[in-house]
Amino acid sequence: MAILELDKVSKSFGAVKVIGDLSFQVPDHSVFGFIGKNGAGKTTTMKMILGFLQQDSGVIHVCGEKVSYGNTKANRNIGYLPDVPEFYGYMNPKEYLKLCGEITGLKKEIIQSRTKELLELVGLDGVNRRIHGFSRGMKQRLGIAQALLNEPKLLICDEPTSALDPMGRKEILDILSLAKNKTTILFSTHILSDVERICDRIGVLNQGKLVLEGDVSDIKHKYRKDTVRVEVGKSFQPEKAADGLRKLTAVTNVRTDNRIIEIQVHNAEDSGADILAFLLKEAVPVIRYEIMEPSLENVFLQVVV
Amino acid sequence: MVIFMRGFLAFTKKEFLEQLRTYKWLIFLAVFFLFGLMSPLLAKLTPDILSSMDMGGIQLNLPEPTVMDAYSQYFKNMTQMGVVVVLLVFGSILSNELIKGTLVNILAKGMSRTAVLLSKYTAAVILWSAGFLLSAATNYGYTVYLFKNASVPNLMFSMFCLWLFGCFIIALILLSSVAAAGSFGGLILSAVTLIILLMVNIFPKAEKFNPVTLVSKNTALLNGTNKAGDLYLTVAMTTTLIAVCIITAVLLFKKKQI
Amino acid sequence: MHSLSQLKEYLPFLIPLFLIQLGLMIAALVHIFRHKNYRIGNRVLWVILAVALNTIGPVLYFTIGRGED
Repeated sequence: MAILELDKVSKSFGAVKVIGDLSFQVPDHSVFGFIGKNGAGKTTTMKMILGFLQQDSGVIHVCGEKVSYGNTKANRNIGYLPDVPEFYGYMNPKEYLKLCGEITGLKKEIIQSRTKELLELVGLDGVNRRIHGFSRGMKQRLGIAQALLNEPKLLICDEPTSALDPMGRKEILDILSLAKNKTTILFSTHILSDVERICDRIGVLNQGKLVLEGDVSDIKHKYRKDTVRVEVGKSFQPEKAADGLRKLTAVTNVRTDNRIIEIQVHNAEDSGADILAFLLKEAVPVIRYEIMEPSLENVFLQVVV
Repeated sequence: MVIFMRGFLAFTKKEFLEQLRTYKWLIFLAVFFLFGLMSPLLAKLTPDILSSMDMGGIQLNLPEPTVMDAYSQYFKNMTQMGVVVVLLVFGSILSNELIKGTLVNILAKGMSRTAVLLSKYTAAVILWSAGFLLSAATNYGYTVYLFKNASVPNLMFSMFCLWLFGCFIIALILLSSVAAAGSFGGLILSAVTLIILLMVNIFPKAEKFNPVTLVSKNTALLNGTNKAGDLYLTVAMTTTLIAVCIITAVLLFKKKQI
Repeated sequence: MHSLSQLKEYLPFLIPLFLIQLGLMIAALVHIFRHKNYRIGNRVLWVILAVALNTIGPVLYFTIGRGED
């Protein structure tokens, strides 16, 4: 079953079309990476899902319930972590979670036990200071705790890691990996290494449209365009080998640059033997030979540019 | 309805905690206590202060101050400095949250926007009422102490008018804060509106309909220049305006992008 | 001179007046020194205002000057 369903959603700000006919589904218990450049429309989409912004056309369903603007009833199924969550600085984490729990109508005992559980999960147990002295990373972690408080079926995180240092990013990703056992996560970002770490599905948003959507490993496989990178010794002219390499059947393209030869092949492992045999035959002084893995970054650049 | 009440109560509790921890409570009660204390004292001492000043040989013959002087001093303080304090203390209760984005988490949890505004209004009116009652009680006590007598006609009604005007300012602040942007947008818009209302009162015909009249006739009520009945229309008008301000604020707030 | 009896008459005013003004000033100073960020102005300005302008200084500090909490 799809937890989140967008059907032909469009949104313009004035004359600028930010989202155009956007449709996608997020299946139950998946981590959906919502990828796009800054300004691609990720936050706009998320705000429409939360009912904070009104779409010009199209329908959004969360857990089968239609989202309507200004009415935040469907939000009881959603936990939201804004890109920079803001809290009441004069409260401590427990007091803040108590307020959140009371608003959602949780029972007193449940608020207490969940608060304890969640503060442990995000590593803020025993922190009884007021929030105004918190670092960005601590606020982000408290943000996750408040978003998970009502055990939402869908957790929406808007760029949870982009404002953090590498240490803070790792902490947030670790927490999200734990949270994914319990809930479906929609995770927007422009940091592709984060996506590779925790997402099972991705959707790439470009100019208000999804240009790519699907399972991460499928996509990687589909866009597999292996590259073999050979570094040669100083005395050798790379161009000398390039022509010979081009004649090999498995090779689709060869590019040389200073002391580097980049050979594009269909499958680096299968055609590796041919290339190596050729290099040996021509007595090319090889310093380094490596197979470049297809990264999401390459895929992203291919579909976006 | 149940969800609404739940959110309303939880958020009102949060507002009280905020008043306490951001020192609003402290300043409000301290300042209004001082108003109650200073007014009769100033009334009593004014002749002494004036006569102790060197007026270039002119002999001032001032009458002995009366209870009426004490009350007119009190109303003067409350309607001038008191209004400024109300504006300063409550001026950013909503703007602050909108600027900082602290409401995002709360609204994302399904909290009703109407409940947010009503909570803010309720909590602010309660603090205002507490400050007002404290100042009124202090003023009464000290006036009795200094003047051995504190009974003047229409005192309760005059006090009520002052209190109602405070409630009007708070409603005005909420509406202004939804309408105007920026940390001080709501505060400035409310202040400007009050100044305009003050100027409108130059026209005698407008007086009866203008909330400002509630705080310009206090002394006139006490010394009998005006009767309570003269202000009934103004009271009704102000009550209506409070409702209009809150309802408009709610409607605008529902359409506001967070 | 009847100043001593007069002073006595005014003690019920002067004592609370003094205590409240002192209290407000101390509360403001403690807050100013425990925080670095102010919405408007800087530490020196607020210390001067809180000490020099009784009641008004602390009130302005808490309403306008106090930074994020």
